[in-house]
Amino acid sequence: MSTLSSTVRTSPHSQAARQGGGWWGIVAVALVCLAFGLPILVGGVYLAWLGGSLYYAPAGFGLVLTGILLLCLSLNAVWVYLLTYAGTVVWAFWEAGFHWWAQVPRLVAPTVVLLLVLLVLPALLNRDPRYH
Amino acid sequence: MTRVARRARLFLFSALSSGLALLPAAAQQSGPAPEAAPAERPAGAVLPAGGDWPYWGGDADATRFSSLGQITPENVSRLEKVWEYRTGDLPTGNAENKYAAETTPIKVGDSLYLCSAKNILIALDAATGEERWRHDPQVSNDAIPYSASCRGVSYFAVPDAAPDAPCATRIIEGTLDARLIAVDARTGQLCADFGANGEVDLWAGIGERVPGWYAVTAPPAIVRGVVVTGAQVKDGQAENAPSGVIRGYDAVTGALVWAWDLAEPTRRGAPPEGETYTRGTPNMWTTASFDEELGLVFLPLGNSSVDYWGGNRSEAEKAYSTSLVALDAATGTERWRFQTVHYDVWDYDLGSQATLVDLPREGGESVPAIVLPSKQGDIFVLDRRTGESLFPVEEVEVPGGGVEPDRLSKTQPVSRYHSLLFPRLTEADMWGMTPLDQLFCRIQFRQASYDGPYTPPTSERHFIQYPGYNGGSDWGSVAIDPQRGVIVANYNDMPNHNRLIPREEADAMGLKPINEVPPGAQGGANAEGAGDPQAGSPYAIDVNAGWRVPFTGLLCKEPPYGGIRAIELATGKTLWDKPLGTARKNGPFGIPTYLPLTIGTPNNGGSVVTAGGLVFIAAATDDLFRAIDVETGEVVWQDALPAGGQANPIAYEADGREFVLIAPGGHHFMETPVGDSIIAYALPKDEAGEGEGDGGAR
Repeated sequence: MSTLSSTVRTSPHSQAARQGGGWWGIVAVALVCLAFGLPILVGGVYLAWLGGSLYYAPAGFGLVLTGILLLCLSLNAVWVYLLTYAGTVVWAFWEAGFHWWAQVPRLVAPTVVLLLVLLVLPALLNRDPRYH
Repeated sequence: MTRVARRARLFLFSALSSGLALLPAAAQQSGPAPEAAPAERPAGAVLPAGGDWPYWGGDADATRFSSLGQITPENVSRLEKVWEYRTGDLPTGNAENKYAAETTPIKVGDSLYLCSAKNILIALDAATGEERWRHDPQVSNDAIPYSASCRGVSYFAVPDAAPDAPCATRIIEGTLDARLIAVDARTGQLCADFGANGEVDLWAGIGERVPGWYAVTAPPAIVRGVVVTGAQVKDGQAENAPSGVIRGYDAVTGALVWAWDLAEPTRRGAPPEGETYTRGTPNMWTTASFDEELGLVFLPLGNSSVDYWGGNRSEAEKAYSTSLVALDAATGTERWRFQTVHYDVWDYDLGSQATLVDLPREGGESVPAIVLPSKQGDIFVLDRRTGESLFPVEEVEVPGGGVEPDRLSKTQPVSRYHSLLFPRLTEADMWGMTPLDQLFCRIQFRQASYDGPYTPPTSERHFIQYPGYNGGSDWGSVAIDPQRGVIVANYNDMPNHNRLIPREEADAMGLKPINEVPPGAQGGANAEGAGDPQAGSPYAIDVNAGWRVPFTGLLCKEPPYGGIRAIELATGKTLWDKPLGTARKNGPFGIPTYLPLTIGTPNNGGSVVTAGGLVFIAAATDDLFRAIDVETGEVVWQDALPAGGQANPIAYEADGREFVLIAPGGHHFMETPVGDSIIAYALPKDEAGEGEGDGGAR
């Protein structure tokens, strides 16, 4: 991690990232995570109560936590999301195998969120107080 | 009125109004099991297929098989559009969102004969698409029941008529406003000798005229000189709905030869004056098939008018609903019947035309059989002389419960020959764009009542019906290649998400039957069954056809939603099975994705199979017309249509060239663009004739 953060810190663009753009990016991704995460968490708990899949409640929780940690500008957001994503991939293949149309709802949006989270990683590294 | 007096009056009334042709039918009133002398209507010659497509189902057996072999998997890539004709019949005013022409022309001699969505009769030069004549019966928009559909017309050659006599050959159609119309096949002029100046009023004996409640959308079957027709009675309106009576009219005079009212088995004529045929009985909205030699007409019956609740059904309705019934075409006497669903509360009415085949049996013999596809997916194969199944049909226990547990059938017939049924749905089959809408569907799945096929209707919560009312097989029917011994069946694979609405709630929603709203106010925009009143029963019905998610419009079940399958005729074994339709015109929020990926879309409309080894089919919601190699199931050619291809294509020969033709009319419910084109394809002129076949009739 330290090598990564030092790379970012020495980048000529890091100064700009520290300003408004990076912060707004993090907030936007946080809002995406919360917008999906909260209903998935609530719906997931309800689905589990109905006797359905146990995937959605923890996945929703992971998304909400990612969103909150992003708002706190904590790098832990990335770790939490990576964990959520890894769990999602394992679950998706366990449940639907290599039926690719079935993977559309399971993997496409979570992968887009993964890209978004990684996209704000440089800004996060600059913002997280532990790396200053 | 006493029975005797009624009879006498009927006799007098019929004889006076319809002429002498009715005398035998009226005379039958005197006996409970009337039998007309069979000599009266001897078997005639059926029209030869070969280079023609003389019947809606292709040949007289309704096989949708063409013996033409000019176009093959090897040369089909050079197929090109030869001509395109526009009927000009497009929706206006309150007909918007109610068009689904579903038209399939017939071809006899060098002419094509067809009807437009609102029943304009048209003859075209089969080689050039040039219009020869048209006759517009001026059908009002208010007459459109659920869709403006005219699946086709029928051709009849008057036996022994002088070739140049008027109406020696005639085109007969049933209309949305319930007229039977006959015109001269050569000129399009109304046949003066048929009914009243070429028209017969099918409302006679039906009761109050409510436009759109009683409409003919299918071509009549003409067998032994009798024009046999049912009608579409708009689904789910009221218990006191128009009768499902099946009637036979003389193809020359238009006189009523017989009426088959399933609740009045001893009556063969019109009801006494002031009375109607029995109301609310199962109807036949689709196309009958027939056996000219046996003199039988095979009626795929639908369900009672109130589809999803059976508490008010008579014993006769219960006995006949969703059955294939064979009648003697000359007399209307029932020969046999075969029920495919007992106590049908799922709207599994028989939508497919049944197909006649000679079924090869061990030892080299063959049995005259009839292949009956169904909406619940079972394909039944019966001896068409007796109605006995030629393969095991098991009565299988089905789920109970629902709102009328005591009346439901404990078992349902399952064909061990072949079924298009897929394994029961699980929560993991739910789909969406993202985990969020997938979760929404999973919650709906868990909330709903679902216990596999024939899960009974419920009111306190939704119930899942899988497959839904579009099939399995619907009106597109199956195509059968008797030479290769292959059945080609396209099918839907979608659930419906339904709920019975208690009467009080339905009243609060303002659900009213068609006879209590202004003409033309109903239909079209919503799916069939989405808020149907079922007046006279304790429940209205709400059907979410395809089980779609509000807002995204996607279906809750994962793809594929439809496929096409080749089945070995002799054994019922699957030869190949492929999803049908690409994602190019489909996507979330109704936005086309233009993805050329095969996803398997909902489909409506059937196929043609040719001796050249090709299956031609559109049907899917991707607006593509395609050729499939019948041996492998691979798509070997396709062309984009200007509108939805929800129609059965045909194949024929003209000027030495093999043509394939489709009328892409679009379909409001399938959400494909509406059109009025008739499009014919063939190989380039210099290449025609180089194929394996001779390009002509066998």
